[in-house]
Amino acid sequence: MKQNKNRRKNIFAAVVTILLLFSAGGGLFAQSASEISKKSADIIDFVSMEMDLTIIIRDARGSERVRQLTMSSGLFNGVNKTLIRFMAPSDVKGTALLIYDYQDKEDDMWIYMPALKKVRRIISSERGKSFMGSEFTNADMSKPNHIDFNYTLIGSATYEGKECWVVEAEGKDQNIKRSNGYSKSISYIEKDTYLCYKTEYYNMAGDLHRIRITSDYKNVTKSSYFAYSTTMENVKNGRISEMKVNKMDTGKNFREDMFSPNALQ
Amino acid sequence: MKRIVFLCVLLVFNMGIRATAQEIPDPSFSMNGYGRGVVFGGGTAYSLASVFSELSLQTSVTKSSALLETDIRFRTGMYFNERKTELQIRELYAGYKSQKFDAFLGNQIVTWGRTEGFSPTNNITPDDFFFLSPDPNDQKLSNFMLKMNYRPALGVGLELVVIPFYKMSRYRFDLFDMFDMSGSDWGGFDQFDMSNIIDFGEDMVPEKILANGSYAARADVDFSAFGGSVSWFRGYDPYHGFDVVSVNWSTGKPVIRIASMPYLKTSIGADLDVPIGSLMIFKAEAAYNHTRNPNNKIFIPNPDISYVVGLETSLWGCMILGQYIGKYTFDYTPLSEPQMPSEASAMELLQYAEEMIDYETRLFNRKVFNQQERTNHALFLTVTRMFAYDVITAECTAYYNLTSNEWFVRPKLSWRVSDAFMASVGGNYMRGKDKTLYSYSSSLMNGAFAELKVIF
Repeated sequence: MKQNKNRRKNIFAAVVTILLLFSAGGGLFAQSASEISKKSADIIDFVSMEMDLTIIIRDARGSERVRQLTMSSGLFNGVNKTLIRFMAPSDVKGTALLIYDYQDKEDDMWIYMPALKKVRRIISSERGKSFMGSEFTNADMSKPNHIDFNYTLIGSATYEGKECWVVEAEGKDQNIKRSNGYSKSISYIEKDTYLCYKTEYYNMAGDLHRIRITSDYKNVTKSSYFAYSTTMENVKNGRISEMKVNKMDTGKNFREDMFSPNALQ
Repeated sequence: MKRIVFLCVLLVFNMGIRATAQEIPDPSFSMNGYGRGVVFGGGTAYSLASVFSELSLQTSVTKSSALLETDIRFRTGMYFNERKTELQIRELYAGYKSQKFDAFLGNQIVTWGRTEGFSPTNNITPDDFFFLSPDPNDQKLSNFMLKMNYRPALGVGLELVVIPFYKMSRYRFDLFDMFDMSGSDWGGFDQFDMSNIIDFGEDMVPEKILANGSYAARADVDFSAFGGSVSWFRGYDPYHGFDVVSVNWSTGKPVIRIASMPYLKTSIGADLDVPIGSLMIFKAEAAYNHTRNPNNKIFIPNPDISYVVGLETSLWGCMILGQYIGKYTFDYTPLSEPQMPSEASAMELLQYAEEMIDYETRLFNRKVFNQQERTNHALFLTVTRMFAYDVITAECTAYYNLTSNEWFVRPKLSWRVSDAFMASVGGNYMRGKDKTLYSYSSSLMNGAFAELKVIF
């Protein structure tokens, strides 16, 4: 009787231990994916910089459209502020977009359009919409909020000779998914450098929609990088948008009032 | 007043000199623009109300903190059967621009107000309402002014505008068929031959002295939780009234000469926008317009308060803006139509005719000022959707005046064929009860338009 009781006790202890190990292991696994993703995002220097960009949009028939813009950003009191000024095509020249990117709440966005002669606040749920008619979305122009996603390490893979972690990031709720314009993404992050070379975006129905290929990483500081070339392919319609950084200055000490809505005009 | 303006100029200039100059590459020059052909037709009064071709040249020169901006348009075409070729200086101004302070002098367009279409605080820039263009912004007419902006703190801006010479909005009421007497409710007045009784005389513009200039100031804030402003305007309203300048009886029938007549007003306004989550923006705007009219002039509106509340949202890929537009008129008294004497002598008939002219002109001005009742209500809706990666834009604007039962709808479809070439088609349809502004305008402005535009 006592033996049976001890055996039951031992089995119970073993089961609890296994469960604890599994749950702890699962937690560690999830935390690792989150950590990898966070490090991958943090290694990209997206603040205190100014750059000239060209976006070339090619459709499946080969016709081409070109967009040019300058982008400045700075981090002020934990808020990443980005100012985008459109340079070409000429009818959008003078248009300026200001984004306050918060970690814990919805972004603030304002736009100045020369034809209207006034600055307008715009709805930030437009993050998932096409940026200047390209395959990039407004959300792609800033870092995604890390806390908005659940991360899963789904394995390892070799991408173009690089050993990569494959990390899935899924929006925590439907609003976040809709706002960002995708339900989940799968990123290929190099194990040595934490640089992300490829990301697949899945639409709200869960189908593969867009593939982002990032290349030409250059050091911004000793420990941070920026990609000078990013290509986004829409696998549904064959359109490809290529974003090239023509010129970049980092470590700029911008005055915060440059990122004020009433300075857009 | 002159001393106040002078002190303000000195104060703001002083602040500006101390402000840090903006980092603008030295020097830079850019020129771009467009050429387009526009046709607007299909109405009842004119088969082609407006056809024109236009070249716009926009240049920008910056050197250090100096800035020069121009938008010069050369246009030739037929407008309501009149051939016209004109060079329009849409904007041409020069000045100083820095991070904290700007000062510009020259022809500029200023748009105030956070609501769209009917902004009560937007009193500065006149419009040419009968310039039929696919883009309503083309109706704005610049005015020579000094405009200064000072940004003392993040998200806070102060603006001062001084306009030395008045410029009025353009209404082509001379094209209206206002005195079609068939089925008239002018009592027995139609016993006269009433054809061609209205003659539009020269615009009555205030004397060109600084005291007749317009002055406006605005304090504006834009924060994460809300944006808003308070503003003040004192000057002649660009949206003027009409006065009867003479009635000539020499031909046996009255020839009534009407002229555009501006009036002085002081306006105090405020606007607000508040984001509601990431899905909506609440907008509101109001202005109290104070006028003085001790002699009961017919071209001066009563003091009123205009207000707009609206919601902007994004639904099913569409940007939707809905607004309620209201106006409350102080000291409002309904107009009584003069009664035709039963057995009238010539003198009585003459007196009746003069009373009738006064009554009809007052009534007409009330329509222009949207003071047809003590409280006036209207609804405004605009829906915009972009398709095919912003290549195609569909938009529709609708307005319904609940008080006068006038309405309009304006659909437009734009196709961005390439970076350099754009095509637009659309229409304009307005309707109103007999003798409303929209019923008069409909014969001129109802129709379809098409535009081909090359951008460079």
